[in-house]
Amino acid sequence: MIPEIGYFSLTLAMVLSVLLCIFPLWGAHTGNLRLMRAAPSLAVGQFVFVLISFAALIYASLTDDFTVAYVAYHSSSTLPWYYKITSTWGGHEGAILLWLVMQAGWTAVVAMRSQSLPWILRARVLGVLGFLGVGFMLYTLLMSSPFELLLPYYPVEGRDLNPLLQDPGMIIHPPLLYMGYVGLSVSFSFAIAALLTGKLDNTWAKWSRPWTMTAWGFLTLGITIGSWWAYAELGWGGWWFWDPVENASLMPWLVATALLHSLSVTEKRGVFKSWTVLLAIAAFSLSLLGTFIVRSGIIVSVHAFATDPDRGLFILAFLAIVVGGGLTLYALRVSQVKSEGRYKLVSREVALWLNNIFLVVATLIVLLGTLLPMVHKEMGLGSISIGEPFFNKMFAILLVPFAILMGIGPLLRWKQNKWAFLQNKLLLCALASIAVTSAWLFLGYDVVAPLTLLATTLAVWIVFTTVLDIVDKTRVHGSLLNGLKRLSVSYWAMVLGHVGIAFVIAGVTLTSAYSVERDVSMKPLDVVSLNQYDYRFEGVKDIRGPNYSGHAGVVTVLKEGDKVARLYAEKRQYDIGMQFMTEAAIDAGFTRDLYLALGEQLSNGGWSLRIYHKPHVRWMWLGGILISLAGFMILGDKRYRSNKKREQKSQPEVA
Amino acid sequence: MNRKFLALLPLLAFILICVFLYQGLFANPRELQTGRIGQQMPSFNLPDLMQDDKRWQQTDLEGEVYLLNVWGTWCPTCLAELGYLTELREQGVKIVGLYYVQSYDSDFDGPFDMASLRDEVSTMLNRAGNPYQFNILDLERTLALDLGVSGAPETFLVDSNGTILLHHTGDINPRVWRAKFAPIMQELTP
Repeated sequence: MIPEIGYFSLTLAMVLSVLLCIFPLWGAHTGNLRLMRAAPSLAVGQFVFVLISFAALIYASLTDDFTVAYVAYHSSSTLPWYYKITSTWGGHEGAILLWLVMQAGWTAVVAMRSQSLPWILRARVLGVLGFLGVGFMLYTLLMSSPFELLLPYYPVEGRDLNPLLQDPGMIIHPPLLYMGYVGLSVSFSFAIAALLTGKLDNTWAKWSRPWTMTAWGFLTLGITIGSWWAYAELGWGGWWFWDPVENASLMPWLVATALLHSLSVTEKRGVFKSWTVLLAIAAFSLSLLGTFIVRSGIIVSVHAFATDPDRGLFILAFLAIVVGGGLTLYALRVSQVKSEGRYKLVSREVALWLNNIFLVVATLIVLLGTLLPMVHKEMGLGSISIGEPFFNKMFAILLVPFAILMGIGPLLRWKQNKWAFLQNKLLLCALASIAVTSAWLFLGYDVVAPLTLLATTLAVWIVFTTVLDIVDKTRVHGSLLNGLKRLSVSYWAMVLGHVGIAFVIAGVTLTSAYSVERDVSMKPLDVVSLNQYDYRFEGVKDIRGPNYSGHAGVVTVLKEGDKVARLYAEKRQYDIGMQFMTEAAIDAGFTRDLYLALGEQLSNGGWSLRIYHKPHVRWMWLGGILISLAGFMILGDKRYRSNKKREQKSQPEVA
Repeated sequence: MNRKFLALLPLLAFILICVFLYQGLFANPRELQTGRIGQQMPSFNLPDLMQDDKRWQQTDLEGEVYLLNVWGTWCPTCLAELGYLTELREQGVKIVGLYYVQSYDSDFDGPFDMASLRDEVSTMLNRAGNPYQFNILDLERTLALDLGVSGAPETFLVDSNGTILLHHTGDINPRVWRAKFAPIMQELTP
């Protein structure tokens, strides 16, 4: 009964989204205000019904309703209740339903928070969002319903959730990532609505900006947590693999980062308009492309979702309509757009333009690296694979000018600058960063490779120039405290974002350069030393979890005789499927992680263990969290809070 | 370049990408071009899976047409094809197994547990059928690497001179046999 309600409710939501697509767009086209006014209620209604549908699936999972095929394949009765909930997005059909919840949710929020927009624009934004909703719901209902039943012969027990996905990181990683992907559809809708209206002005940029920032914040957090999950769960201490699926999330992030910088120029200076629109279209297009890559099985990846050409064909057709349509509209309209501002070579406009160039080049590198193996094969040139070395090298090359620019950019003013005025300050910052980094690395480590020194210096440089900028901006207001108060929320968001990037650069560099690992065989009470830490193996004890059993290697970590931590490196065997999982034990710290994985028992009675010492690895995720906070901070900026009382009174213009 | 053309550029690039994606959708991503076809069987010297003192070299295999089937007890698709492979053996096809050990690393895992592996293998073959003349154990995956094996099951068709004629990825079933293997087999056996 409940699964049927889920399916039926989704059908109703689909009907509402068809109306949401037609009414406001037609209303905006003919200037019919009544049709346009229907949009917000339709958007909210659609969200409610999607939510009911999602609740039905969660209910089925919580009550172990194995007549539902999805639940039977992705859950089991012994699964803890919280993993029963997360199992609803552990498989393809459920993940798409979660996507729908996000899509409908964003649409409803846009509907409620856009009162200050002119009706004609508001209607078009919601109409485009409605169209996207129709596409995804049609896909769910026709191709990938999570409510398929296994009647009359249903299993008495489910196949369980993949043990890899039974992890706290997995509870939040997909929803955050989807919030980001789907959030970019709002930027996309604003861009399309602006192109339809033919008015690409700075008001458009101002409206679009907070939505883009929020979506980008979610995307950043989603990627960060995904990387942390891989590190904690996959058992060999890696945190980024340049896997096609990871690349699929990185590409929209890079473009969205370019977009929000470009939006600021369009808002403040009225230039780069057509470029900004293109980025808004591209950011969501790459989200869709990522979905296509992940869901169609076109590229073999460790994430390997079920492959099904019919599903792939549907998504590709949808992609072609949405992106192709968007780009066609762009090609038709954008040549009429003119930029108004003027600027000189040394100016913030040019700095941000360069920022965009670097980010887009980075995106193209990832896109090429991801798609080239496939294209290469189809052109009959044989199978090739492009992996880590390629991406690492390309990104290392791009990083140098990008990081230097990142330090200088915020110091520049709009329109023009006297270079001589900045020269001395920048030189001072550069020297200070080199001095501080050298002292830090040469005192802390025995060997310092030139590249490590360079990359770490760049991270320090970003922090120093940012501090310099804060000092500069506050000095004019007399006291420091007085000056700090006057800085805007957006400014602080920028500071946070840039410092976050500095942390990521430093974390990646230092952990790549100075991680040490050792494979050892240990008997109880053996001690192994690694980087000033002593690891004492206490033995192995049996463990029993809710749906697994196994054993844990107990290790006491000592530093100069003092106990630092007691770690339990587990080997689990899950009851259903009998899969073995290595659950690494991690002692996390600000300056280092101690990471332990248990191997097999050896014939001499000892156990094999792998020990990692990873300096500063946590900085990477700290940086990621700082960057995403920058995205959420903008919600606190008064300029972007929509004014609810100022309900639009004026009649819409007739298009 | 004029502005109109520049504005069209993103659309053209996207259409190009779509064409490739469409083709890619119907190409099997697991279909690999290993470039081993037409080449000689690489030389090897590996132990037998079931007997301690027996070793195999590529020269032991020459003189007859045979299938080299890469498999492992950990691989469900391998289990699925055992039945049909056994039928083929009964029809007179010579099948040699290359046992692929998935993740053993002698530096990390200590001595290999032969007894339990043999146990697993005999249980599986007794249950599902045994198509193999004998099995070669590729513990460190060296021969698999030389052959360009990317997983299991994979099957190579080798002629009596030791030349590789076919490399099939995925299971062998009656359909695959009729389409890919049977025509070549017919040419080889007059």
